[in-house]
Amino acid sequence: MKPSGVSVIIPLHERCDPLGPLYKEYLDPLRAAGLDPEFLFVAAPSHAAQANEADVLRKSGEPVRVLRLAQPTGPAMLTRVGAIEAKNDLLLVLPAYRRIEAQYLPGLVERVHQGADAAFAARVGRREPLSNRARRWLFHSLARPVTRNRFHDLGCGVAALRRDALLETPIYGDFFRFLPTLMQREGFEVVELPAQQHPGDVGVRFYGPAAYLRAAVDLLGSYFLARFTERPLRFFGLIGLLLGGIGAILLVILLVQRIGGVGIANRPALLLGTLFLALGIQSIALGLVAEIIVHLSAPTRRPYRLARLDSADSNDSPG
Amino acid sequence: MKSSSNDDLNRPRLSVVVPLYNEEGSVERLVQAVQEALGPKQDWELVLVDDGSRDSTVARARSAVAQDSRVRLVRLARNYGQTPAMQAGFASARGNVIVTMDGDLQNDPADIPRLVARLDEGYDLVAGYRERRQDVWLTRRFPSMIANWLIRKATGVPIRDNGCSLKAFRRPVVERLHLYSDLHRFIPAVAAATAGARITEMPVRHHARRFGQSKYGLSRIAKVMADLMVIVMIRSFRGRPLHLFAGAALVALLFSLAALVAEVIAVAAFRPVKAEALVFPSVAIVWFGLAVYLLILGLMAEGAVRRYGRRVAGEIPLAREAA
Repeated sequence: MKPSGVSVIIPLHERCDPLGPLYKEYLDPLRAAGLDPEFLFVAAPSHAAQANEADVLRKSGEPVRVLRLAQPTGPAMLTRVGAIEAKNDLLLVLPAYRRIEAQYLPGLVERVHQGADAAFAARVGRREPLSNRARRWLFHSLARPVTRNRFHDLGCGVAALRRDALLETPIYGDFFRFLPTLMQREGFEVVELPAQQHPGDVGVRFYGPAAYLRAAVDLLGSYFLARFTERPLRFFGLIGLLLGGIGAILLVILLVQRIGGVGIANRPALLLGTLFLALGIQSIALGLVAEIIVHLSAPTRRPYRLARLDSADSNDSPG
Repeated sequence: MKSSSNDDLNRPRLSVVVPLYNEEGSVERLVQAVQEALGPKQDWELVLVDDGSRDSTVARARSAVAQDSRVRLVRLARNYGQTPAMQAGFASARGNVIVTMDGDLQNDPADIPRLVARLDEGYDLVAGYRERRQDVWLTRRFPSMIANWLIRKATGVPIRDNGCSLKAFRRPVVERLHLYSDLHRFIPAVAAATAGARITEMPVRHHARRFGQSKYGLSRIAKVMADLMVIVMIRSFRGRPLHLFAGAALVALLFSLAALVAEVIAVAAFRPVKAEALVFPSVAIVWFGLAVYLLILGLMAEGAVRRYGRRVAGEIPLAREAA
């Protein structure tokens, strides 16, 4: 028989819609689909008011738990705390504001029941201003080659997941937006299901330059983590070779000129060449230290994940 | 990798580890060739490691598992590459002797008994080398020759064919390997560096690829170069990285001093000093800064070695008791 319990994790940070109506909107289709949900509102310290709002639901006898974190933290940690505290093996992570029509939630849960490790919603029929669309297009166009995945809506944040798959995926800080990519990287089966965008999700949102900077840095970070965690020298070595190469070329040119009788004591190019060469050496040296750490920590980690057990396989063997 | 005493009773003497990636054309023939080479006894096992194949490799491997209890299948969750697949096979292998080979039948399983016999002569690792290699010269054999020459020179381990997967290991060597990234190309060098393994090589047969696609190309040379640098560092400085960095810092310091001397000469020769003459002192400062940076980095690396080093199985060299 299919397990019907599902733990709904709603991190409370940044934007929050009024929680009473939102809770009802999420709850009804889940119950209608025969699921028995428990709701976990996990609140950042800055969102005490919203936590109190959720507490009202709990006191009125609803299947709600409210977790308040003492330390300021991002959505990744809030979700992780929710997953640790969850009573069910199947999780539904939802934002504290409307993203998709709630009747699509049981479909996500069903897909995980069918065997996927995670089912992420991708908003379809999106009505959004041109500026939002352009921004989203730019982000996904940049993210695609970097993450080597074809997810269409990394910003949606609505997903049904297996609890252990989420807990085994290393997420922290703002990397939460790359959760589908990171889970796939860990070897989990991740699918994307279309879901109708909620009318409340439509609208122009303005983000400061800091948000764009954070997204760019996260993209670079996820690129590094995905490609070079086990081979950092290839990343730092390439940067080092480029920088050091420019520096070396500049210095060789100056050396040739000096041999030809041209003075170099007053040539800023000498300083520039030295600076580039030093930066190149720094980068390569950093890569080497990273390699030492990777090498020394090799016995403590496994560079692969076994597929989920099948009766015909021997994955349960020693190791 | 450790097993209980109950398991020890059922433990085969020999484990043959074969990583597979999209090898549907060769799985059945491979299993059959191994069965023919190792005979009807129950003292061996074949560990097939599926590295996230997208063809029918898994189905065919499962059918082989169903027909012969000595054949086992380990499936990775996705395609991780040959090194992690091999490490997964090592982790699953139960034999006291472990042989690795490719899944595309370019290696000949008939060579396995010869490798094992050679191991019994007192070696920890026997590496096969492809005597009459059946590959295209320009894109396969020539790059391989260069790579092997570089690896030999850089690591000091005299193996002529690091790219040949057919190798036999004693279990303690495998327990100390901890492969990751693309280190499968450097197994003898890593084994020598981390465990002081006694290594030899012997000729093995090589057949042209009949099934599937080659998973390597010329692009691997750059990767091999980067990995080689890592291997040299692991081999030479893994226990004392401060030596490497302090040496580099000293060189940077010498450049800094040279720039200062150049400044003194410039001031003496071209008085009065122009503002531009500050180029030399600036260069000296950059080199000095680099020296300090390298020294700090060396101290950090030394700290990492202290932090992890004691727990690392690879830190414990292989030992042999006198008979």
